[in-house]
Amino acid sequence: MSTVAPPETGQLTKEQLLEAYRVMRTIREFEERLHTEFATGEIPGFVHLYAGEEAIAAGVCAHLTPDDYVASTHRGHGHAIAKGCDVKAMMAEIYGRKTGLCHGKGGSMHIADLAKGMLGANGIVGGGPPLVCGVGLTARVKQTDQVAVSFTGDGGSNQGTFLESLNLAACWNLPCVFVIEDNGYAESTPPAFHQAGVDIAKRADGFGLPGVEVDGFDFFAVHEAAGEAVRRARSGAGASLLVCKVMRYYGHFEGDQQTYRGADEVKELRRTRDCLDAFARRVTEAGAVEESDLSDIDESVRALLDEAVAEAQAGPHPGVDEVLTDVYVKY
Amino acid sequence: MAREITYQTAINEALAQEMERDPTVVVFGEDVAGGMEAPGEDDAWGGVLGVTKGLYHKYPGRVLDTPISESAYVGAAAGAAASGLRPVAELMFVDFMGVCLDQIFNQAAKFRYMFGGKAKTPMVIRTMWGAGIRAASQHSQALYPIFTHIPGLKVALPATPYDAKGLLIAAIRDDDPVIFFEHKVLYDTKGDVPEEPYALPFGEANIVREGSDVTVVALGRMVSFAQEAAEALEDDGIDCEIIDPRTTSPLDEDTILESVENTGRLVVVDEASPRCGMASDIAARVAQDAFADLKAPPRMVTAPHTPVPFSPVLEDAYVPTVESITAAVRETAGAGAPSAA
Amino acid sequence: MAQDSRVGIVANPASGRDIRRLVAGASVFGNADKAGIVLRVLAGLGAAGVRTALMMPAFDGLSAALERQLHAHATAERHHGAAPLPSLEALPMPLTGTAADSVRAVELMRAAGVSVIVVLGGDGTHRVVAKACGDIPLCALSTGTNNAFPEVREGTVAGLAAGLVATGRAGDGALRRELALAVELGDAEPELALVDVILSAEPFTGARALWRGSGVSELFVACANPSAVGFSSIAGLLQPLPRAGGRGMHVRLTDDPAEAHLVLRVPLAPGLLAAVGVAGFRTLELGEEVATAPGSGCLALDGEREIERRPGEHVTVRLVPGPLTIDVDAVMRHAARVNATRMHPPPE
Repeated sequence: MSTVAPPETGQLTKEQLLEAYRVMRTIREFEERLHTEFATGEIPGFVHLYAGEEAIAAGVCAHLTPDDYVASTHRGHGHAIAKGCDVKAMMAEIYGRKTGLCHGKGGSMHIADLAKGMLGANGIVGGGPPLVCGVGLTARVKQTDQVAVSFTGDGGSNQGTFLESLNLAACWNLPCVFVIEDNGYAESTPPAFHQAGVDIAKRADGFGLPGVEVDGFDFFAVHEAAGEAVRRARSGAGASLLVCKVMRYYGHFEGDQQTYRGADEVKELRRTRDCLDAFARRVTEAGAVEESDLSDIDESVRALLDEAVAEAQAGPHPGVDEVLTDVYVKY
Repeated sequence: MAREITYQTAINEALAQEMERDPTVVVFGEDVAGGMEAPGEDDAWGGVLGVTKGLYHKYPGRVLDTPISESAYVGAAAGAAASGLRPVAELMFVDFMGVCLDQIFNQAAKFRYMFGGKAKTPMVIRTMWGAGIRAASQHSQALYPIFTHIPGLKVALPATPYDAKGLLIAAIRDDDPVIFFEHKVLYDTKGDVPEEPYALPFGEANIVREGSDVTVVALGRMVSFAQEAAEALEDDGIDCEIIDPRTTSPLDEDTILESVENTGRLVVVDEASPRCGMASDIAARVAQDAFADLKAPPRMVTAPHTPVPFSPVLEDAYVPTVESITAAVRETAGAGAPSAA
Repeated sequence: MAQDSRVGIVANPASGRDIRRLVAGASVFGNADKAGIVLRVLAGLGAAGVRTALMMPAFDGLSAALERQLHAHATAERHHGAAPLPSLEALPMPLTGTAADSVRAVELMRAAGVSVIVVLGGDGTHRVVAKACGDIPLCALSTGTNNAFPEVREGTVAGLAAGLVATGRAGDGALRRELALAVELGDAEPELALVDVILSAEPFTGARALWRGSGVSELFVACANPSAVGFSSIAGLLQPLPRAGGRGMHVRLTDDPAEAHLVLRVPLAPGLLAAVGVAGFRTLELGEEVATAPGSGCLALDGEREIERRPGEHVTVRLVPGPLTIDVDAVMRHAARVNATRMHPPPE
């Protein structure tokens, strides 16, 4: 991901726009491809797809360097890709291969790469926010300008760990950004039921932190707000809460029949709110990029995914002796 | 140079010496400074029982009070460890583990494994355990078996000031997550402790007393109870070998097995409650791996399967006593009823 | 007294939580606070004899907060002489979670024959309502961030005044004809702004709220209040104009110190004071149409970047008559003069 912060006026360069598109397109293709492959029964375990929400991962991670950290959720492929994790190694991991990013030991829900500052997808709802408080503490003690970002869902925003983390980050003035991806459903339950109609953004007020809400389908809205939040954290002014309103295209998990959703809900979303379509239209109409630039990216991403799936499917399984490895550094 | 100091001071010294040596060691928890941003002293308490007193001023910025918010700050310890610090977080009473257990056993314990060996989590959680100060059921438990059970964690239980300093220094230097259990009744006990820093290896038991008749494995506060029992039993001609594992994960099975090979008899003394504890763990391993050497069934001396009661009369009946240890040894030794003497 | 008078209420759930929380000193205006204001408005409406209030089925939790507060109100002890609240009915409409919902709600309110619409929101919400309300008077209450258009007014009295207007007891001088700015971009349908239209060089609408002073080339205002917060304060601090006084202003701004005739420090957002360079300004007469300088970027309407202007697209701005708003102070003075709040007969 680009390491250059956008200029003062908030304008993105052509390179930055194309990079953003590439990230979003890669996430979309990765997830759509997984959706297809999962249905064949070849992929073990659970996967939770991020399709529809790409603008959030891309818009936030555009402001982060490899020294910054993110902590993710069970729906973590998007964050991993946006943070720069290797796509082929990710696919191999999801297939449980030895060539996977975690050598097949973690799977979809624990995809991580600490060298890229990706603290991991997390199988525990609300597991991420305390971890980023810890990274914030590291930055404070070592006096760096690193920033730690956690991604949590609307469901996770009710977990004690999330609320405690807002409090701890405020008390210790940590360089953290807490992003809430409010995608309309905590598993099968909408916020009207699981939150008594509260604004998540307003919860920040309760901890003395700023809370902002943006349209999570709009890359530019996310990018601008995230930029300010990251800038605030890096400058030592403290943490903030960024709520991105979005909807996911797929179920809570692959296999979820989603009968709790309105009929045609997803079809309408894809038609009217799709973040990639909107982005492409706006940047080409503004004359910032050519349509061919975008279609070139589409082609190369599709090719990358084809290779990733083929290599994953052909990849070696870990040896059985690897059950016993890497429990400890030294026992 | 060794001199006599308390268990509590030994812990304080270990922390200070490691903080001196390594700028990435940070200490945080409820009241570890004990007054930060309060109108009076910033470190009025230095820990609820004074164990961390003095560190706040010596290492500014590296000793932090936390809100009463274990899941956030224990999780922060995991995140900080994964990103380059060596945090020593305090879980004031191990009884509070319920509010932060996920951060310990699903996050910190599993990072290295789940991430294919590409993470290390060098954190220590210091925590108080044990019955005996009438603190009742929610402040007196011995929950190390639960942590011992979790792959990815290490567990240390010092019984003496010497072990406390050496094991804590080792724990801080260890690149894996360690839960460090400090028995609250032992804080005031004294023992010889070298001035200079030293690290005791994990997975190496301490043979507290050599003997040839019965192997007595004892943990924590029970080590000194076992020593008292051994003296009384000497008069009856029963020669006890007392082994303190010091760490339950990793566990020094070899020393225990070698001893049983020699004595043929085993008594395990554990203050924790009986189901799925260290006593049953060690007894089962010995039964499996040294069956041929055993001349009598292994015996387990533990607390009963109850919460810790409050009333002093009841708490004293709850914790294993010297008498219950001697009775168990006699039974194993085949001596039947205790001697009249 | 008009029987069966109906009043519409538009309460925008989305206002008060945009990026200005991060870049300026604004705090979040939450659903519970808005529900509280609606409750107070209903109390005032009820006291004025309004029997029915119509509201958009609120998206995003405002309904839940309101229902709880209404329930608490209904089960609380009755005060001596208290009037019943109007019954609150939800308009039959699906929600998209966009500004189109407010427009649809207002259209339905018009069809249902409401005599007044009470609006809770910022400049942006009022703008959207004004596009669709025709000549139905608005009671404009502030819950947004800059609030140059709506006023900060206690809900109970606003409700009472709105109710007196709705039941025909407000007298002359109760209503004000505001000014507005009609914006035409190429062939698209004209847009409306109630406070200001700003041309910004930023190519994308981003996080909507406009708070950066740099990159802004032109400013049109329908009111020039020197005490306002937001870009219109530039006009107000150059040359104050009375509200609804028939004139607006066109200001040319510049980032180039050589071009600036003067530089002002103005409150662009709560807690945010910034320097802006003024290249020139003139007043606008009602009906006067101005073509903007050519260029591309965003058009911000009432402080929110709304339209992405492509290179070559032609933009004109015209000062036009706007919506009718209720002058609450005038209504209450009249009410005092004609004893509108006297109860017949006095309560037991």
